[in-house]
Amino acid sequence: MLVNYFKIAIAVLKRRKFFTFISLFGISLTLTIIIVLTAFMDYLLSPSHPDVKRERSLYVNMLRLEHTKKGMRMTGPMTFHYLNHFVGSMKTPEKVAIFSMFSPTNTYINSKKLVINVKHTNHDYWEVEEYQFLEGKPYTAEQIARAEKVTVISEEIKHAYFGEVPSVVGKFLETDNEQYRVIGVVKNVPITMIYSYADMYLPYTLSKEDKGDNKGMNGKYMAILLGRSKADLPAMEQEYQQVIRKIPVDSTMEYDKITGYADPYLAGFTRVFLGDDSGTGVTKFFLIIGLVLFLFMLLPTINLVNINSSRIMERSSEIAVRKAFGASSGTLAIQFIIENLILTFFGGIIGVALSAIVLWVFNNSQLIPNAALQINLMVLAATLGACLVFGLLSGVYPAWRMSRLQVVTALKSN
Amino acid sequence: MIRHLFKLIWNKKKQNFLLIIEMLVSFMVMFAVFTLIVYYYNNYKRPMGFVYENVWAVSYPNNKLHTENEDSINMYYENIKRTVAALPEVREASFVSSNSPFSASTSNSNVTVNKVSLMANQYWVDDDYARLLQVHMIAGRWFSKLDDGSKNKPIVINATMKEKAFGNKEAIGQRFKVNEDEVVIIGVVQDLKDKGDYMKQEAAQFMRSGWQSRMLVSIHPDAGAAFESKLNKLLTGMMPTANIEIEHLTKKRVAKNSITLVPMIILLVVAGFLIVNVALGLFGVLWYNISRRKAEIGLRKAIGASGNNIVLQIVSETLILSTFSLIIGSFFAVQFPLLNVFDLPSGVYVTALILAILFIYALVIICAIYPGKQASNILPAVALHED
Repeated sequence: MLVNYFKIAIAVLKRRKFFTFISLFGISLTLTIIIVLTAFMDYLLSPSHPDVKRERSLYVNMLRLEHTKKGMRMTGPMTFHYLNHFVGSMKTPEKVAIFSMFSPTNTYINSKKLVINVKHTNHDYWEVEEYQFLEGKPYTAEQIARAEKVTVISEEIKHAYFGEVPSVVGKFLETDNEQYRVIGVVKNVPITMIYSYADMYLPYTLSKEDKGDNKGMNGKYMAILLGRSKADLPAMEQEYQQVIRKIPVDSTMEYDKITGYADPYLAGFTRVFLGDDSGTGVTKFFLIIGLVLFLFMLLPTINLVNINSSRIMERSSEIAVRKAFGASSGTLAIQFIIENLILTFFGGIIGVALSAIVLWVFNNSQLIPNAALQINLMVLAATLGACLVFGLLSGVYPAWRMSRLQVVTALKSN
Repeated sequence: MIRHLFKLIWNKKKQNFLLIIEMLVSFMVMFAVFTLIVYYYNNYKRPMGFVYENVWAVSYPNNKLHTENEDSINMYYENIKRTVAALPEVREASFVSSNSPFSASTSNSNVTVNKVSLMANQYWVDDDYARLLQVHMIAGRWFSKLDDGSKNKPIVINATMKEKAFGNKEAIGQRFKVNEDEVVIIGVVQDLKDKGDYMKQEAAQFMRSGWQSRMLVSIHPDAGAAFESKLNKLLTGMMPTANIEIEHLTKKRVAKNSITLVPMIILLVVAGFLIVNVALGLFGVLWYNISRRKAEIGLRKAIGASGNNIVLQIVSETLILSTFSLIIGSFFAVQFPLLNVFDLPSGVYVTALILAILFIYALVIICAIYPGKQASNILPAVALHED
C-alpha cells in the first residue's frame, strides 16, 4: 500500500509541475536557512580544537563586586592572584587554566602595521586546552617562573611576520617594543572561540599590567576548571561557591558582596545576557531561539498549507470515488500526509544540498577567519526533525478539510 | 460592483481565510523590515558632524605613574600631548575619554536640564577636541583658556540636547547640575554621529577636562605606516608600562557600521526569501482558483464582459482580500507608535506602515495580473461546454 501511495504521490507531483516547484522552493530554502543557522550554532557551541574538553570543563569568566549600601557595582574578569590563590586551591578540579582575554598590540614590519593579539596564560592552560603544535612546544612552569621572554605563536602570525619559512622556533619576534623568542607554533584558532583565540601566547609573568602581583579582585584574567569527569561538574560549581563565600569582605572596603559562577560553556555566555542570580539563562536562550524559529517557519508553513489545500481540493473527484468505495476519512488523511511527507523529503534533500553549497561559500569567504562550518550529524538530525514538523504541519490541515468532504457534493461538483 | 465582489469573497471564506492570514503575516514582516530600513536611513542621511579622515585614536591602558600628585600627572600628560603635537606629521592632538569616536564604550548620565529629565552621553574632552574633529558650533563657543579658573564649570551640549531641553529658547548661559556640580552652558554643537553612520539622535554633553584615557591625533594625509611606527616608539618611550594601541578612525568607522549592517543584511535576505515564497504561493493559489472558476468566467464573457473587465475583476477581488489583512495588520502596527514600543519616533512607524501597505498591494497586484490575464483568455464556448 505504501508503494502505491508513493506512486500516486510521484504522479501527482509530476502533474502540477508549477505547484510542485513552489512547494519544493519553499521547503528547501526554509530548511537551508535553518540548517545554516544550526550549523552556525553547532560550530559556536560544540567542542573543537583546542577547547576539546568542554564536556568536563567549567568556565569562570567574571566576578561581581558590589557595595549594596553605596549602590556600587563592578563586574568583569579577575586578577591572576584571585584565580591562582582562591580558585587554584580548589580540590575537585584536576587542573585550573588561567588566561587573559586577548588584547591587541602593534608591530611594524617593513613599514607595514601588524596587529598581534596577545594572551597571557599559566602553565596548566596548555594541558587544559589541547593545542595542536605544528612546531616546538609550550613554555614550561620553570620558564614562567623565571619570566623568560618566550612565546608560542599562531600559524597565521608566523606567516605574516616571518614569511614563508620552514621553521621559526628560536627566532625572535618583536611587538610592543619587546623581543620574544618563539618556542612553539600552534594551529590557527578562529576568533569565535573567545577563550582560546590569540595570535601570540605569553607567560603571565611577562604581563605589563598583572604579573600575579595585583592583590585585588577585578583584573583581566579568566579561568577554565577542568574536572576529572563530567560527573564532577556539580561538585566543582559547589566548591567554587564555597570559595567565593570564604573570601573575606568587610563593608569598609569598596565592596561587601561578591558573586561569581563557574558555568558550563553555553551558560557562561547566556548568564551575561539573560541570566540572573538564580538562573543561568540557558532555558530562556533556547526559548527565544525556539520562538524565533517558530515565527520564521510560520509564513512558509501557511504558504504550504494554502498550496496543499488547493492541490488536494483539486483532486476532489479522486477522493470522492475512493470514499464511495469505502475508504475511511482516516485512511485518506494518512495518504495525503504521506504524500506531503514525500514532498518535504524531496525538499529536504534539496535543502541539504543547498546548505552544503552555502556553507562551502561561507567557509571560503573567510568572513570569520579560520572558520569551518559543516553539516554534522546533529545538524542533520535537527533538519530531519524540521522536515517532519513541516510535512505534518502543512499536511494535517488540508487532509482534515479533505476528509470532511461529502461524497455527493464532491462527485457532483465535477 | 464592490458589494458583488464582497459576496464572491464571502462565499469562499474558508479558502480565503488562509490567504488573508498569509498576507497578514507578510504584512507584519514587511512592516518590521521597513521600520528598520526607514529608521536606519533617517539616521544615515543626517550629517556626520565631524571629520574622521586622517585621525588616529591612541589608547594607552595601564600606564602606571610613580606619583599620585595631580599636578605632576597633569604636567606629565600635557607634556606628552605637546610632544606629539609638535611632530611635523601631526596637525593636532587632543585628549578624549574612552568613549572616543567609533569605540564600543559609552558613558551616560541622567541629568535634569530646564526641568526636563534626560539621558545624555557624557564626554570628557579638552580645548583642542572641537578644532581637531572640525565640529560645527551652532551657538556659543568651545572650551578655551577663557574657562581657566571660571567659577562655574563650563559645558557644551549638542543640538539634540538643546532641542529636548530648551526647544526654541536660548540655551547659552543656562545652568544645570551634573553629579552635584553646577555647570553653565557655553556652547551648542551640531550632533556628532560618533558611534557610526546609523547612530540615532542622542543628547550629548561635553565636559572640559585635562588628560584622559585616550588621545586623538590628526595627521597630514601623507604620513603613513612608517610614521605610525615612529609614533608608537615615541609613546612607548614616554609610557613604558602602557599597552599602546593606535587605531585609524576610518577603519573603526567601517567596523562600527558593519555591526549595524551585518544583522540588517541577514534580516533582509531572510525577509526577501519569505516574500518570494509568499508571492509564489499567492500566485499559485490564485491561478488554481481561477482555473476552477472557468464556468463562471466563461458565462460572464458570454454575456458581454471584455477581457480587461475580467482582469479587473480578478485583481480587485484580490485587492479587497488583501485590504482585509491590511486593516487587521495596521491595527497591530499602529500599537507600536501608540504604546511607544522600542522608543522610535512615530514618524518612522507611519512611513514604514505606508511603505508596507504599498508593498503588499504591489505584490498582490503583480501576483494577480497573470492569472487574471489567463482568465481573460478563456473562451466562453469552451468553458461552458466543459460544464
